Amino acid sequence: MVEAVYLIVQISVIILIAPLVNGIIKKIKALTQKRTGGPLLQMYYDLFKMLKKTAVVSDVSSWIFKVTPFIVFSTAVAAALIVPVTTLIKPRWFPGDLIMLVSIFALGRFFMMLAALDAGSTFGGMGASREAMISSLIEPSIIVSLITVGLIAKSTSVFEIMNFMQEIHNPLIHPVYIMSFCALVIIIIAETSRIPVDDPGTHLELTMVHEAMVLEYSGRNLALMELGAAIKQLVFITLLVNIFIPHDQLINITGFAGIGISLLVYLLKIVVVSIVIAIAEVSTVKLRLFSIPNLAALSFILSFIGFLQYFVFGG
Amino acid sequence: MSNYLDALSVLLLISAFVLMGNKRTNAYIKSFKMQSILIAILTGVMGINSLLKDGHVDMLVVCAVVIGIKVIYIPYLLNKTCKNVAYRVEKDFYFNIPILILGCCFIVVFTYFSLSTTTGINSGNINMQVINSVSLILIGLFFMISRKKAIGLIIGFLVIENGIFVTALFATQGMPFIVDMGILMDILVAVIIMGMMAFRIDEKFVSTDGNKIKDLRG
Repeated sequence: MVEAVYLIVQISVIILIAPLVNGIIKKIKALTQKRTGGPLLQMYYDLFKMLKKTAVVSDVSSWIFKVTPFIVFSTAVAAALIVPVTTLIKPRWFPGDLIMLVSIFALGRFFMMLAALDAGSTFGGMGASREAMISSLIEPSIIVSLITVGLIAKSTSVFEIMNFMQEIHNPLIHPVYIMSFCALVIIIIAETSRIPVDDPGTHLELTMVHEAMVLEYSGRNLALMELGAAIKQLVFITLLVNIFIPHDQLINITGFAGIGISLLVYLLKIVVVSIVIAIAEVSTVKLRLFSIPNLAALSFILSFIGFLQYFVFGG
Repeated sequence: MSNYLDALSVLLLISAFVLMGNKRTNAYIKSFKMQSILIAILTGVMGINSLLKDGHVDMLVVCAVVIGIKVIYIPYLLNKTCKNVAYRVEKDFYFNIPILILGCCFIVVFTYFSLSTTTGINSGNINMQVINSVSLILIGLFFMISRKKAIGLIIGFLVIENGIFVTALFATQGMPFIVDMGILMDILVAVIIMGMMAFRIDEKFVSTDGNKIKDLRG
């Protein structure tokens, strides 16, 4: 019973909120440029429209091209199941842990790169090679920063870590967590293809990374790819806010009322984080591709020093 | 209280890493300004603490002077010098940035393992704050070594000074007022002179690259 509630809440909340984050970011960017911008729910309309249309598939492409949208979408949803949006629902078994989370994302990304190569366009190959570079640079720091938090919580399960963090009074002033937090912020920017690393709004061939890989897709397949990317972004933001800014310990009500309040607070945190991301995106410029290793090195070293501090001073 | 100080010392360390990761002179000055703001917050927190505890106001005065000199005036001076001197975008460092950041990481590891077992300051154990601020000094030194241009060298010097200031603050919970003031005035004069020197060097040698000054040797 609890498991069923967990599955329903998890999947519905993540899928329903994911396009909203993009909508908020786009709206704020438009407002800073003195434009009105599209409506807040524009991405939902786009997804609906695209889901109704059939996809155009190139004759020369193989089965990988057709199967990839489903793999990308399902890996994103599977990752969403590992990161709980609220810890008030306590299922008896819990799927996966941190390492599983990273490997699920890696699976989706791997197929995305294969499909980009498969269509045979020049942009696809270029985007795939760039994505491979960025992800291989960023992945060590995801593992190190999350494992540091996991070491302190003595568990690699995301649920256990979130429970543990609720008992700490204000984790963001704790030295070890500040390091992991800063590292994770850089990781989120790189993983969700936001501006210092990749510009999500451009189709200029010199700069696009994620857009280059989904360039060949249309109709239903494109909708699945876009939704998958949005879900991935929301999962990372959820990981950040629910680990480092926990709120569930403040709620004393149990049952569905408590879960509802918890979800509302969660939604508020997501909106605040999306506004912060939008402001950061407006106020910085896109880095050169060969400057991305600098950012990745910074993020890796920050997470490593957090790890070191845990060993020297304790959690 | 000590929790907040720990967090601030870690943020100072992060700001030093961000400074190391920068490529352009404008960005150095911005990161230095951020670091100075953190130091001002730190002095302010300690000042309020000492005001509530003993009724001393001198730390708050130091905080005001830090804001005046390090947050506002020195970045303004450096920006002015930078406009005159470093408008050309050139490669400013010997190694690429990931290697420099890794070097900083080694410095931090070295400091941690050499100082974490030492005893003496702050009731027996040297705490994390002192260790972080000592690594701030060493990172400033490394920054000075790794940059070629005059503005980079000045910023490295200022980071070393920030580190020394913060170490003194953490180790002694506030130096005598006159000592702090003396150090800050020294820094101010040093930066003014170095800014002028950088301008003159640029005028004479067309570039502020420290390597080219070696040509002066006979």
